[in-house]
This record gives sequence, structure tokens and C-alpha cells, in this order.
Amino acid sequence: MRILLVEDTRDVGEAICKRFEATGHAVDWETNGRDAAEIIDFTDYALVILDVMLPGMNGFEILKHIRKSGNAVPVLVLTARSEIDDRVGALDLGADDYLVKPFDFRELEARARVLMRRRTGGEATNLIKCGDIAVDRAARSVHVGKREVQLKRRELTLLEVLVARPGRVFSKDELLDQIFGFDEAANANAIELYIGRLRKKLEGAKARIVTVRGLGYQLVSDDAP
Amino acid sequence: MRREPSLFARLARRISVVLGIGAALLVTAAWYYAETAANKAYDRLLVGAALQMSESLAVEDGILTVRLPTSAFELLGLAERDRIFYRVINTHGETLTGYDDLESPVPLDRIEDVSNAEEGFYKGEPVRIASAKRVLADPAVSGEAFVIVAQTNEARSALTRELTLRATILVLVMSLLAFVGAMLAIRYALQPVEHLGTAVRRRDPHDLTPVTVDVPRELDPFVGSINHFMGRLNERVDLLQRFIADAAHQIRTPLTALSAQIDLLGGDKLDKAGRQHYERVQERAGELARLTNQLLSHAMVIHRADSVQLEPISLVDVARRAYRAAIPITVDPDIVISFEAPDERPFVLGDAVSLREAIVNVIDNALRHGAKHRLEVRVRANDAEAFVEVEDDGPGIPPEGWERATQRFATSKSHEGSSGLGFAIALEVAKAHGGTLSFRARDERGFTVILALPLLKGGTS
Amino acid sequence: MIRIILASLVVAFSVSLAKAADDDKTVFPASGVETGRLTIYSTTDLVAMKPLIEDFQKSSPGITINYIEYLTNELNSLASEACRKGEPLGDLLLSSSVDQLVKLANDGCATAHRSPETARVAEWANWRDEVFGFTYEPAVFVYNNRLVPANEVPRTHVELADLLRERLDYYRGRVGTYDIRLSGIGYLLAFNDARQTTTVFGRLLESMARAAAVARCCTGEIIEEVAKGNLYIGYNMLGSYAYEAALRHPQLRIVVPRDYTLVLSRGALIPKAAKQAELGAQFLDFLLSERGQAIARSNAFYFTETGGLPPDVDGPQNMKESGIAQPIRIGPALLAVQDRAQRQQFIDDWSQSLIELNSPDWTRE
Repeated sequence: MRILLVEDTRDVGEAICKRFEATGHAVDWETNGRDAAEIIDFTDYALVILDVMLPGMNGFEILKHIRKSGNAVPVLVLTARSEIDDRVGALDLGADDYLVKPFDFRELEARARVLMRRRTGGEATNLIKCGDIAVDRAARSVHVGKREVQLKRRELTLLEVLVARPGRVFSKDELLDQIFGFDEAANANAIELYIGRLRKKLEGAKARIVTVRGLGYQLVSDDAP
Repeated sequence: MRREPSLFARLARRISVVLGIGAALLVTAAWYYAETAANKAYDRLLVGAALQMSESLAVEDGILTVRLPTSAFELLGLAERDRIFYRVINTHGETLTGYDDLESPVPLDRIEDVSNAEEGFYKGEPVRIASAKRVLADPAVSGEAFVIVAQTNEARSALTRELTLRATILVLVMSLLAFVGAMLAIRYALQPVEHLGTAVRRRDPHDLTPVTVDVPRELDPFVGSINHFMGRLNERVDLLQRFIADAAHQIRTPLTALSAQIDLLGGDKLDKAGRQHYERVQERAGELARLTNQLLSHAMVIHRADSVQLEPISLVDVARRAYRAAIPITVDPDIVISFEAPDERPFVLGDAVSLREAIVNVIDNALRHGAKHRLEVRVRANDAEAFVEVEDDGPGIPPEGWERATQRFATSKSHEGSSGLGFAIALEVAKAHGGTLSFRARDERGFTVILALPLLKGGTS
Repeated sequence: MIRIILASLVVAFSVSLAKAADDDKTVFPASGVETGRLTIYSTTDLVAMKPLIEDFQKSSPGITINYIEYLTNELNSLASEACRKGEPLGDLLLSSSVDQLVKLANDGCATAHRSPETARVAEWANWRDEVFGFTYEPAVFVYNNRLVPANEVPRTHVELADLLRERLDYYRGRVGTYDIRLSGIGYLLAFNDARQTTTVFGRLLESMARAAAVARCCTGEIIEEVAKGNLYIGYNMLGSYAYEAALRHPQLRIVVPRDYTLVLSRGALIPKAAKQAELGAQFLDFLLSERGQAIARSNAFYFTETGGLPPDVDGPQNMKESGIAQPIRIGPALLAVQDRAQRQQFIDDWSQSLIELNSPDWTRE
């Protein structure tokens, strides 16, 4: 996917480009704010990674420019300034996420992935419930009772599948297809691992993932008759 | 410290003194005029009586006789309570009738036909004395005969007293009116001072904008000074803010570049020993980044405590944002991490940025040094306080280390290169919000760090 | 030591004084334990004062009262002398010759006294709160109805003058009045007569002189003569004495003149040096009180300012309302009366016109 990086520090820009290119993304790297703002106007990007301190035009102005022109591209802001008021400002101006420098490059990559995926996924609010487990597909959040539980991407996908049809038994293969797609190489053991993690994270909920020996897994609500 | 009397009291006192002196002068003058008037009125009677008496002198059969007219005494009797003394002196200087020892204050040879009344004493009593002279040109009796009439001063004094009393009442009433008027005027005139005082007193201590109260010209220097001082303070604060911002940028940019380069370097191509070194460089760079963030965060929190106005905020919202920011996506997937908030949303008076910073640091600490399999962030409230609790299943901090844990750069794990600024930041923020940072000893569930803040009354929604 | 000497001096003085006045001194001993001794010098007959004194003692049983009588002029000279020397003379002076009391007060010989009772005193009867008038005594005509025919009874001063002129022979030597050389009251009344209407008084004086009027020292003496028939008419008699006598002698009749009636008020004064001034004041208050006035009216003085005339008195029913009452104001004007030159001349004139011209035979017995 095509990513616009606006970053004037060479060492940093270089590393970011390398990272994303290594995972198969195309990265356009701009060091001047004004140039970047122009490029965005006529190029469609999957993600904009925006530094705040830039020559020409600062990141906030670019962000304002993007949102003003009605462009909904996900923007991840990188900031080196003190958090005296930047963070609030970035989110208020329409940034989708931000990272404070210096940051962990793996974290940057992970967050960028989330943002890009969110763009491709549906925007509809979609709340599915089973027992006291509530999955908000749009917000990608999971609640057990009042508790919001942090789930990894694949754990969430697995839960979504199970929650969508409570009581139904899904075979491991079925689940493998749903979670990893056909192009990713994964085996049944991976499913067992995720099911284990999910069970741990849903501990105390009024619904359980039940193993149906030889067949697969099903989500059973305690409330169900 | 000796307290200076209020402006009002000073003015009131001075005006009272001035009014008092004025009233005293007026009363004295009134007394003087009253006395003059009373004397004038009664002196006329006295002189009239003396004249009547001298008119009654007659020569009968060659002898000087006097038939004192009752009317003269009735005239004098108008001063009802006063005693009357008189003496008629014949041409030989002998007393014809009356009080032999009554003397005129004016020597006989200087008495005119009609003389004015004079002050005098008779038998030790203060009297007014009038004299009259009668020149007789009878062949048998010729020469000058005199009449001296004296009267005590009771009626005069009474009249003087009455007139003075009336004048005094008038003066007192006027003085009182003047005083009340002056007090009202002073109160009115001092209102701007009170307004200014109220305005300054009511200002938020973080508000460094100029005071914009309309004041009379006389107060301009004070307001000017206050505003000048405020301006300078504001500049300092701005300067500090810029410095922190600049410092942050200046340090972070190369740090980011450093970690970028380390990232680029990659560990894959290195041998085992090189790989070990690489990982340690990566680790140390991470620590350096974290320490920098904490230092800047600490500076920011302290700065904001002095300069940012607190406002009602939802603690749940702040805690949720902090929770999202503090948990990296790349966190160990085996840790169960959850966030729990009550249905009612407790509000506190606070600075959202500082509070989030505090909560982020507590969560971050728990992630790095505590949580093995579980990390729970909870928001709850009771009648008086709202709490953010961060519980993990790690080893926790033993009670004896709690105090040290909140001190800067003091942590039980300092040998591992981590800084102890996290709790110090949280404590700083708690104090700035009138709250506390406390620990709950490890039990079977885990170790808990509790940030407690005073609940904003009526702020739950 | 000095105190003892002083005390003995005082005692000696009181003794000498007591001796001088022994004859006319009456002691009303306290009915209870004696707590105070009040000395009253008075020109009023004991008979008139007795009921008052006795009633006073009922309410103040601890007070012994020495009542000493004098003639007005004697009392006056005694009081002036005492005042000049600063010596005490009794605790209360009562005199019908108020002009003398006014003179005493003017000379600073009086102590002021204010009380609710003194506040009731009419304004004309109070000077400086020092001299108070406590009676109301009109100067009246007294006649013997056996000797004066009913149609000849004079009812005004002019009628009296005309009567004496018309019936000169009948009334010659039969009209009595005060000898103003001896009587202070007589002088006071005569002087005020002269002030009222000079022409009427002149005519009256002339008529009386021609009718060979008899002058005597005192009211009592003249009234007795009228009662006996030696005199037919008494002029300027004090109403109280006349009425008292009329009660005893039915032939005596009283006329309150209808043109004008001089009214004399007996005066009371607390001397400056009074030793028991508070007792004097107490008695004075009693005299002025409603109770004292009531007793005086029913027992001694009979006439009052506001009430009607006593029964059997010929005159206007209410003197005050008819406007004929001319009270002799107690005030500084009386000083003119008291002036020694004035007095001398007035008495000289009076003597010349009345006495020296005539003296009826029977008076020289």
C-alpha cells in the first residue's frame, strides 16, 4: 500500500522507509511540509505519517489542510515536542493516532497496520453480544461486563467469528481460514494457542469457549437455556 | 505584623476630627453670639431701668428726692429670676437710697448721661451694672446725681444657654449629617478599591492575563504594577514552556535518529556476541528514550501544576485515553489487560494532560516492572473521591519501599537502568489535584497503585 | 476644740434668741421620738397656723416645732440682721409682708427649694423658687351691720369714698385701717392701692382723712373695734382674719370690693443659713400640698384662688373669673415697695394726709 511519510530528519525517515518497504509498502518520503501538502492533494495514500516540526509548513498545518479538503486518509502524527499541548492538539485536529519520539519502530509499524486495516474494513457500528461479552466491531473493542479487555488483532477476529454464531461449533480449519486467510501459512496449533489466550482474557465472563472434542469450538452463553 | 487601619477608618477618623473641630468652633462662636445677644437684650432693660430711675429724681422743697418707679423694677422683673441691686447717689456723693455698697465699675466722674452696661461683681456675684447720670440745675440742689443699677446674670445665662443649646443641636445635627454623608461618599469613593481587591482575590492563581477592572486614575499605578508583574510572570512561564518544548524537540530528534539507525542496523546479520551487544544498545537506547520522556513529562507536569487552570473532567475519559496510550500494540499477547469503569462517570477538577501523564506512567511502570499475566486498570468512586487503580500480578513493591518509590530516580530496580520518575510524576500530579498516590500491598490478586482525587460535587453524569 | 467653742457659741446664741422671743414662742413637741426640731419664725397668728402644724406633725411625728411670732417689721429687721451676719434664724420664715421676703431673697438671704409641690404654686406667687405665696387673702371691707345701714354698705372703693363724704358726720372717726407706719401689710396694701388707680385712692384717702379714719397696727385690733361698735367700717382688712372674726361676731359683715380687690399671699422663705433647711422645706411642701391647702382653707385662711367665696361674704362669686382680683405679684417689683426712700416718702405723705390732720378723741385714751 502507498504511504506518505513527511519527516525532515534523514536518519529517522530512512529507517521508517526501510521498515515499511520491507513489508511490501510503497513509501513516498517528503522532507518539506509545503511540498507534502501539495502531493497529498493529488495522490491517494493509504496512510500519512506526519512529523510535526517541519520546514515550510508544520505538521499541524498540513493536518488541518488535509481535513479541510475533505480527505479522510488515516494520519499518524509523530511528535518530538513536549506534551504540553501537542497531543490533545493532534487528536483534536483530526489525527487518527500519534506517537511520541523517540518511539519503538515495531510499535510504529503495528499502529500503522491498524490504521490501514481500519480504512479497508467497514465503518458500520456493529455490536455483537453473547452473555456479557460485547464486541464492538467498529471500535474494535471487547467488553466483559463492565471490563474492557485488550485483545490482539487475531484474538479479536477469532472472538468475532465465535460471537457471531453462539452455540455453533467451528472446526479448526474453518477458523484457520477465517483468521489467517489462505495466503498465510499457519497450522492448527496456532488456533489452539489463540483459543487458549482468548479463554484467559475472557475469564469471569458469562460465556465460555467450549471444546467439542474432534469437532472444534463453540461459544456458549451461561444465560442460554 | 502591625495591621494598618483601613482607608475607610483613616478617612473616617480624619473627617471626624475635622468635623469635631469645626463643630467645636461653631459652638464656641454660637455661644459667643448668644451671650452677646442675651447681654444686648437684657442690657437694654437694665439701661432703661436706670434711666427711669434717674428720671424719678426730683427736687421737692429744696431736697433731692427719689420715688423709684415700680415700672423700672417690673422692667427688670422681665428677667424673672434675677436679683436687682440699685443705688441712688445724690449730688454730694451720698447714697440716697438702695444698696450703699454698690459701686459702678466706671468711676462716677466718667459716667455719662446714659452708659452702657458693664460686667461687675456685687457681693461676690457676677452682675451687669448700668449707670445713669442726672444733672440737676435747681437753685437749691445743683450738681450731678447718679443711679447705679445692677442685675444678676441668671436670665442672661439662661438665654445664652438656650440659644447656645439650640445652635449646638443644629451644629450637631449638621455635623452628623455631614459625617453620614461623608461616610457614604467615602464608601462610594472606595468602592473601586474593593472591586479591584475582589477581582484580584477571585482570580485564578493560574490566570496571568492582565487585570481588567475599571479603576479610578489614582489606582492605575497599582493595577499597572500588578499587570506589569503578571506580564513578566507570564513571559517567564511562556519562556519556560518554550524551553521545555524546545529541549524536548532538540533531544528527541537525535534520539529518534539514533534508534532509527539502530533499527536499521538490524541484529540478524550479526554473530552471537555482536547480537548481544546490539540488543543491549537497543535496550539502552530504549531506556534513554523512556528516561527522556519521563524527565520532560516531569518538567511538564510541574509546569502545568503552576500554570494550568483546573476544569471539570471525566476521570473515565482521561483514564481510558491514558490506558490506550500506555498499552502498546506490540505488548506481550499473553498478558490479560483490561479496563473497567463504572456506569456513572465521576468528574474531578483537573488538568486532563497532567492526569493522563500520571496514569500513563503508572500503567507503564506496571507493564515494565509488574504485570506477568494480568494488568487491570479500574476507575471507581465513592462519596468523596474518585480513584484510578492499576493492579498487576507482578511482585509489587514491599511496603517499606513505598516511600522511596515515589522519590525521583529512586527505585529498587535502579541497577537495571530504569528510572523511578513514573511514580514521582504521578505523585506530583496527585498533589497538584489535591489527591493522593497510594499503594495496596500485594495480595492473592496482585499489587495495586491507587491514584485518588477529590470528587467534584455534583459532577457525576 | 474649735468645734466645741463653736457649738457653745451657737448654744449661747440660741439661748439669747430664745429669751428674746420667749413670750411669743410656742413649742409643739414631737408626738413620737424626736428626730428633728423645726423652728418657724412667723407673723401669722398662732391660731391660724395651729391646725396646719398639728396636721403636719401627724405625718411627721418625730418633728418638734418651735413656732415664734413676730410683727412683720420686727421679723424683717431680725432676719436682715441675721442674714447680714450670716447667722441662722429659724428654718422657715412666714410673713404676710411678702415685699420684705422678696427684699430678703434679693439680698441673697434665701435658699431655693424645688419640689413637685412648689411646681403647683401659681407663677405670680413664686419668685426664684425662694419666696412662695402659700395663702390667698383678699383685702376686704368689714362693717358692723348694726351700725351701717344696709343701703349704705359700700361695695367699691369709690362707694366707700362717696359714703364717707356724704355721711361725714356719721362716720367721722368710725372708719379704721392699718397704720402703715407700724404695719408692713398696711403699707403694702396702701402702696398697691395707690398703684391701682391713683385718683380713686387719692379720693378715698382724702375722704378717710376728712372722716378722721383711725389707724391701728393690726387687723385684729380694728376688727375687734368694729365688732364692739367703736368703729363701723374697717378698710383693707385681711380676709382671713375678718372672716374668722365674722364667724365669732355675727354683726360683722365682709365686703369684697367689686371694682378691684387686692389679694395678698402670705410668703414663706427658707433662710440661707437655716440649720434644718430640709425640715423647713418639708414644712413648706406641706403648706403648698393639696392637704395643707385644704386645711388652711377650712381652718384658717378661708379664701382660695380658684374656689368661690366663703358663705356670707358679700362680693363677686368667683374673684378670679370676675377679674377683679389683683394679686400682689411676688417679684422684683416689690423691691420698689421696699425701697427705703420710697417707703419713707409714701409713709410721710400718708401720715400727712391721714394722721396728722386728725385724731379722734377716743383714740387718745
